[in-house]
This record gives sequence, structure tokens and C-alpha cells, in this order.
Amino acid sequence: MIRNYFKIAWRNLINNKGYSAINIGGLALGMAVVILIGLWIHDEITFDQNHKNYEDIAQVLVHKTANGKKRTRYTMPYPLGNELRAKYNEDFEHVVMSSFHSDNILSVGDKNISKRGGFMEPDALKMLSLNMVYGNWDGLKNPNSIVISQATAKVLFGGKNPIGELMTISNKLDVQVTGVYKNMPFNTTFNKLEFIAPWDLYVSSYTWVKESRDNNMWDNSSYQLYVQIANGSNMSSVSSKIKNVVYDHLPEYGKKSHPELFLFPMKDWHLRSNWKDGVNTGGFIQYVWLFGIIGLFVLLLACINFMNLSTAQSEKRAKEVGIRKSIGSSKRQLINQFLSESFLSVVFALILALILVVLVLPAFNQLADKQIRFPYNNLYFCLLSSGIVIATSLIAGSYPALYLSSFRPVNVLKGTFKTGNSASYFRKTLVVVQFTVSIILVVGTIVVEKQIDHSKNRPMGYEKNGLVMLEKVTEDYKGKYNVLRNDLKNSKAVIEMSESSSPLTDIWSSGGGFKWAGKSPDFIPNIGMIFIGHDYGKTIGWELTKGRDFSRAFPTDSTAFIFNEAAIKYMGIENPIGKIVRWNSQDHKIIGVVKDMLAESPFKPVKQAVYMIQYENTSWINLKLNPKKSTSASLALIETVLKKHAPNVPFEYQFVDQSFAKKFVAEERIRTLASIFALFAIFISCLGLFGLASFMAEQRSKEIGIRKVVGASIFNLWKLLSKDFVKLVMLACIIAIPIAYYGMRNWLNNYEYQTNISWWVFAISGIGALIITLLTVSFQAIKAAITNPIKSLKAE
Amino acid sequence: MILQIKNLFKWVNSGGNRVFLLNDIDFTVNEGEFISIMGPSGSGKTTLLNVIGMLDDFNEGEYAFLNEPVHTLKEKYRANLYKEYIGFVFQSYHLIDELTVYENIETPLLYKKHSASERKALVADMLDRFNIVGKKDLFPSQLSGGQQQLVGIARALVSSPKLILADEPTGNLNSTQGTEIMELFKQLNKEGVTIIQVTHSESNATYGSRTIRLKDGMIVNN
Repeated sequence: MIRNYFKIAWRNLINNKGYSAINIGGLALGMAVVILIGLWIHDEITFDQNHKNYEDIAQVLVHKTANGKKRTRYTMPYPLGNELRAKYNEDFEHVVMSSFHSDNILSVGDKNISKRGGFMEPDALKMLSLNMVYGNWDGLKNPNSIVISQATAKVLFGGKNPIGELMTISNKLDVQVTGVYKNMPFNTTFNKLEFIAPWDLYVSSYTWVKESRDNNMWDNSSYQLYVQIANGSNMSSVSSKIKNVVYDHLPEYGKKSHPELFLFPMKDWHLRSNWKDGVNTGGFIQYVWLFGIIGLFVLLLACINFMNLSTAQSEKRAKEVGIRKSIGSSKRQLINQFLSESFLSVVFALILALILVVLVLPAFNQLADKQIRFPYNNLYFCLLSSGIVIATSLIAGSYPALYLSSFRPVNVLKGTFKTGNSASYFRKTLVVVQFTVSIILVVGTIVVEKQIDHSKNRPMGYEKNGLVMLEKVTEDYKGKYNVLRNDLKNSKAVIEMSESSSPLTDIWSSGGGFKWAGKSPDFIPNIGMIFIGHDYGKTIGWELTKGRDFSRAFPTDSTAFIFNEAAIKYMGIENPIGKIVRWNSQDHKIIGVVKDMLAESPFKPVKQAVYMIQYENTSWINLKLNPKKSTSASLALIETVLKKHAPNVPFEYQFVDQSFAKKFVAEERIRTLASIFALFAIFISCLGLFGLASFMAEQRSKEIGIRKVVGASIFNLWKLLSKDFVKLVMLACIIAIPIAYYGMRNWLNNYEYQTNISWWVFAISGIGALIITLLTVSFQAIKAAITNPIKSLKAE
Repeated sequence: MILQIKNLFKWVNSGGNRVFLLNDIDFTVNEGEFISIMGPSGSGKTTLLNVIGMLDDFNEGEYAFLNEPVHTLKEKYRANLYKEYIGFVFQSYHLIDELTVYENIETPLLYKKHSASERKALVADMLDRFNIVGKKDLFPSQLSGGQQQLVGIARALVSSPKLILADEPTGNLNSTQGTEIMELFKQLNKEGVTIIQVTHSESNATYGSRTIRLKDGMIVNN
């Protein structure tokens, strides 16, 4: 019996090659999209799961309250680690203090490379359950040791076992390699952690860290703290236990911010990293949901096509149903037969889809910035695929099966059978659903694109072109500001140089304690602080709206402040020039106000910031390239000059416009993915429409023949056949627009700096859908219209 | 007695009026009969045949098939009844285009859940009997009309029904082929199969043992 079913199914596929191609091809595309999205989601939700203690690892974070708003911070004071170990020992398996991870120069002999890494307490290796290639988890116990990743070892030492080799960090700290760990998978938080050095080395080598320790400074938060809770404890109970540990140790003035500690479990690091007023508001997880839903929709569209084409073919199959029933087939047997047919198609589609996925996976990885591999030998994947096949064949095959098997043999065998209105309504509904989904996706894509454009075209407040910045990763440049500046300017490679404490694309530190006339006593200000050299403004081309720039001609400028407009508004100072702001037990005169400069997120308002002169704590060198020289020539000259002053520091630079562009990477990725999915959705819908139109044309061939005989023109016939579809697509627009509007409004609310959703977004999507519909339908309509009527009439 | 029909009515409502398709039909068919139903177009011949074959319902009256009251039977049981005892032969053959001759004949056996070896034997028997062994792997479109109708009859016979219902079995055939088919029916009837045929042709009717004439849904002569 089963064999007979499949035989029939196979012959039907072969005999209707066109329909089969559309059916199976459409389904395969849909499935390929679903599989890709599935792999992507799997990659996202298994983030960090390579760590054996994944469930128990957490980072200690803090909510701080200022001006009635809770902010969530990652920075912890030095004594906290020891305090947790001493007083809450039974709750923690490991407590690991860590520096913020940053790029550092690693040198072996005359080899210098820049690698990201950090200083962590010895338990880090065990906590993160690193796979040690050489050495063991005790590697960080000796304060002059370093544990490096396999990739780093390969670059520095080639293939040989580097245990015991000597090297230096930041041209300053001498260490000995005590371990090499396997590189962590791409989908982990610590993927870019290329070396770990002992915390004790950090403390003993940097004076400011040593001060934190020696003075037991609870009010200086500059470190990170990772923990693994003890077996049997749970995150929330430990969180509530340690909630007030920092608060209890703070002096009176510090208690104002009311810090509340809590554990942020590793499983949430990647997908739920957004906080608002002390509440976790999700994060990337919304895209996991979004793409999951899109995937299901695309599969649904493909299923709809399948149902649509199958029911459209029902008239052809009706005779067979009649015969089978009259020679003794039961309804159940017919249902089984049609389900077998859909099952066969679905299996073919799956095979095609898998081939497609294997082919496009590399491109997809690049688009999505992933390193997903095809899970050839994963049992779950096989189960899931079979699940998709069964679900799809049931969803896509059940309606045709039920519909076809319910024909009454008398009607179909008499030859008077015509598929009823109910079937055509059903088919029309399916077309409307398809186009509704497609239009929603198109609107979504356009809005994302518009939001990116809108944010990209924000006024920067400075001239980002031709600006290059270098991070001073070692202390080799210390105290060389003026010589460097002179040499660089003399080389004619740059027209100006300056230094700053933050890169142009970020604000690294902010502080409170500002006082000014007219400040309300309850107001606790938090202002971004950027320490700069005198030439900063000239280098980046900032625009002063009031007052003047810093100048070496006024020695008092060393304590002067320049605020941005946002800060002046934030503080509520009128006529700011000449006013005094007290900070750090000193009076500072406001000498200028600059236009807001975009430094942090391009999707948020510019943060209030103050600029002040300081040559000690700068970390960045900013260079304005000479526009009269080619970029490559200038860079070569700059490298020569820098090598002269710091021979052991690799020449690594960033263009400001490029690093600014990086801020859009996440959004652009989402745009690309969304637009590809939208394209797929439209394409699949069109396939369905095409099949349906060809069926309609076939079904109405007699009518078309008669109309032609009595004098209808090709244009008349085209209009006749296209009209129905245009109506359906317009209906789809009407349904899609409010849904899309609501959804995108919600999405935009993630951004403080947002574009508006203009009417033309909907107009373009709607008109686009109409044009595509017309193109698709017209092919069939015109084909039918130019057929010689004798042919179609003779067939009766 | 194979079937008995008593006071059977079938009608449709058209604009408030009842239009009778079958009007007070009353007759009995005994085992071994060969009955021809005749009448002008629209007289209800095919409708009557479909009612007998349980493909169509009726509105009033009684119909007993092998002493089972068909009008009170449930759909499923009725299906079993005709699957077991009735074979259909159609004017336009109604073979399944996607199946070969062999498979077309085999299909009813599949629905009756015969074993594979049984099916093989029964189908081979039929092919042999109708002399179409050489054509068993061809598709219906590769056969002439007469050959297709032979396959249709073979398919009707393969499950050894008690009753064969034939709706103008020669309607689409030329006269030579038609005669062959009628001779075949006569032969089958001799072997004990009860046959009811609908026909327009007086000469075909002469093959039968009895003729029922219909007009406007009523039996005018029995």
C-alpha cells in the first residue's frame, strides 16, 4: 500500500514538473532559511556554555542610584574580593578579581604583538575550566607568570612547548609562561581573551592599584569581579546576602549612591545585558526571538504555497479521487495517500535545503559574524530535521489531503465537478497572509535602514575625516608630548597632534562632585570627563559656540573648563562664560562651550561632558593627517617618527571614521539579515503567486477563449486576470501596515535617538508589492491571453 | 435475490419546486440476471445506477442489498458492502492515468487488503483472461479505447464482485470494439456474475435478459 502511495506520488511529481519545482523549490528555500536561523539561534543561546561551570558562574554587578535613577555598573572596589572570601566563604567556590581586559603589548625577544588580555586571580583558570594544552590550572599562582592562548603561543613561539619561556607585558613586566590554553570557541564572552596574567603582578606593578589595596579603598571602583557560587547555593539567595557589602563599608558621602550588589549569571551575559532603572530589560535576546519568529513565518509561507498549489491542482486530481472511491478506497486511505505525497515532497525539499545550507553557510557566517559549522553528526540536529519534515508535511499536506479526499465520486465522475467557492476563498486567504507577512518584513527592513541612516548622518560636532588615533598601550610615550608633536608636524605627515584620556569614539570616565552657583543641593551630577592637551580642539576641529579654546598664552587655562552644550543645559547654567565650577577642591573657570560631539552610542543623545587640560593621564594620541599628502605616505612617515621614540611598540592605529562606523555593526547586521529574510519571503510568495496564476489561467482558458472570440483585446484579458490578485495584495497592505507600524514603533523605542516612520515607507512597500504581483501574474496572464482560442475551445 | 428497491424517490429542490430525478422506483434484481436500463437523456438512468452502486443517496424509499437495508447503514459499512460486492465499469473508462495497466487492476485489491502474493495471482489471472499480459506495463494513454475498457472491466472483476454496474460501457467505442465488450459481458453473465448496464443502444440491450425503461425518473416498462 505504502509503496503504491509513493509510486503515485513520484509519478505525479514527474508529470507536473513545473508545479513540483515551484512546490519543492519554495519549500526548500523556506526550510533552508529556517535551518540557518535555527543554527544561528542555537549558536546564540549556547553562548558561553563551553565553560563547565556555566550554570554557577556570575559577575558581580552593582546598581547605583543618582538623581532618582538606578544605573547598573560593572566596576567593583578592590577590597570586595577579599571581603567575599573572608565573610561569605561558604557561598562561593571561586572569587576572582580581574582587571578590565584590554590590548597589551606582548614581547619575546624582538617580537612584539598586541593582544587582548587581563590580570586575574589564580582561580580564574579553574573557574573558566580552560582546556590546558601545556601546564595546568595552577599556572597563575606564581606572581611572575603568564598563561597564554594557543593562538598567542603560536605567534610568539611557533609550534614548540613554550612553558618556562620568558616574555614581557607592555614592555615593562617580565613574566614566565606557565600555561597554554586552547582558544575558546567563537561564541564565548572570553573568546578574545588571549592571555591571563596574575592579579598579584597587577597590584604590585601599578601604583594606583597598589594604593587601592594599601588604603583599603572601598570608594574607588575600577575592577571586575567574577565568582562561581558553591554547589547547592543559588544566585538569587547569594545576591541578596551580599547586596549591602559595599554600602556597609562606604564612608557617609559615598552611601548616597546606595550601591546594591547582585550576581549577574553567566547565562545572561550575552543575551540579557540591558539594564534600565535596576531592572534587566533583555538585550540581544529580542533578536533571537525576532529571527525565530521570522523563520517560522518563512516556513509558514512556504507551507502556504504548498497547500495553495495542491488545492489548486485538485481539479486534476478529482477524477482520480472519484475512481479510487468507486473502486473501494476509504477516505482514510486517500488521506494517507495525499499525506504520503506531501511527505515525499517535503523530504526532497529537506535534502535540497540541507545542500543549500551547506553551500551558503560560509557566506552566512560572514554576514552574521559567526563561526557556525554544519552539525553533521549532531543527534539533536537530525531529530530536529526529522521533526521539521513531519511537522511541515502535516501542516502543508493536511488541508489538501482532507479537502481532496472529501470529494464525492458521483460529482467528479459525472464530469460536472468544479472546485467550489470555498476552496478559492481559502486560496485567496492564503495569498493575503503571505503578502501580509512579506510587506511587514519589507517595512521592517526599510525602517531599520532608515534608523541606521538617520543615526549615521547625525552631526558629529567635529571633523572625523583624516583623523587617526593611536592608543598608548605602554608607557614609552610618557612625557614626550611636545617632542612627538614637533617631530610629527615637521615630518609634514600631520597638521596637528594632541592627546586625550578617551578615544574620540567613547567617553571612558565620568565623575561627580561638581558644584556651581545655583545647583540644587539634591542634584548629584554625573559628567563625562575628557582630559586633553591644548591642541585637541585644533586637531579634531571642534566648534566653539561660546567663549574660546584652551590656549598656552593663558597659564590659568590649566585649571579652566570647557563644557559641551549638553552639559551646560544639564547643569542649568546661564551665561556660562567666566562662571566658576568647583571640583576636586578647586575652582575652575568656564572659558568656552563647544558643540555636542558624538562620542558614545550614535543612537543616544550626546552625554554631558567637560574637557580639561591634563598631560599625565592621557591614553590616546590623536592625529590630523595632512590633506596634501596621500594617507599611506603620511602613515609611513608617522610610523618612522613613532618608532624613533618608542622602538618596541607596534604601530597600531585606527581611523576615527572607521571606528565610528563600527558602532553600527550590530544594527547593520540586523538590517542585512532582515533584508535577506524579507527577500526570501517575497520570493517564496511570488513563487506561490506564479503557480496560482498559471493555474487560474489554465482553469479559465475556456472563458478566455470565448472572450477572445467575441473580441476581447490582450489588454482586456490581462486586466481581467490580474485584477483579482491586485485586490488581494491591496487587502494584504491594509492588514500589514498597522501591524508593521506597531512593531517598528516598539523596535525604535529601543533607541533614544530615533528616526520617524514616514508614510512613504508604507507607500514604497505597498507599491513594491503591487508591482511584483503584477509582474508575476502578467507573465501567465499574457501567455493565456495570446493563446489561440481554437485550442482552448477544442478541448471542451 | 441480490437487491430490492421499493418506492424509491430522489429529488432536488429548484426554485421552490421539487424536481424528481427518480420517482417511485420499484424493482428487484435476482442473482444471475443481466439487466439493461434504457431511456432518453435525463431520464435518470445514471442516477439510478449510482444509487444502486451506493455512490449516490436517495430521499425516500427502501433499498435492500443482499438483504441489508442500505438506507439505514452507516457510511463506513455501506462502503464495505460495495467494496466487497460491486464492481463499476464507466463509459469513459476512468482509469488512473498515473498507474500502469497492472497497477490499475491491482488497486481494488490494495483497498481490500489482499496479500501481495494473492494480488499477484489475481491480477495475473485477469491479464491472462483478457489477453492483455503484454500490455501490463503500459499506461492508459498508450492504449486504444477498447483496450482501456477491457482494463476497466478487468479492474471491476478482479475482486470477484457479485454485481457489475456498467454505465454505457460501449459509449466511447466503435462498433467492433463495442460488440467485443458486449460479448464479454454475456460471457461473464454466463459464468454467474449479475450485471446491470445503462445503455442507449437497443442492440446492446438485447444482450441482457431484461430491460427496464425509464422516463422522467419513472419506470415505464419493466
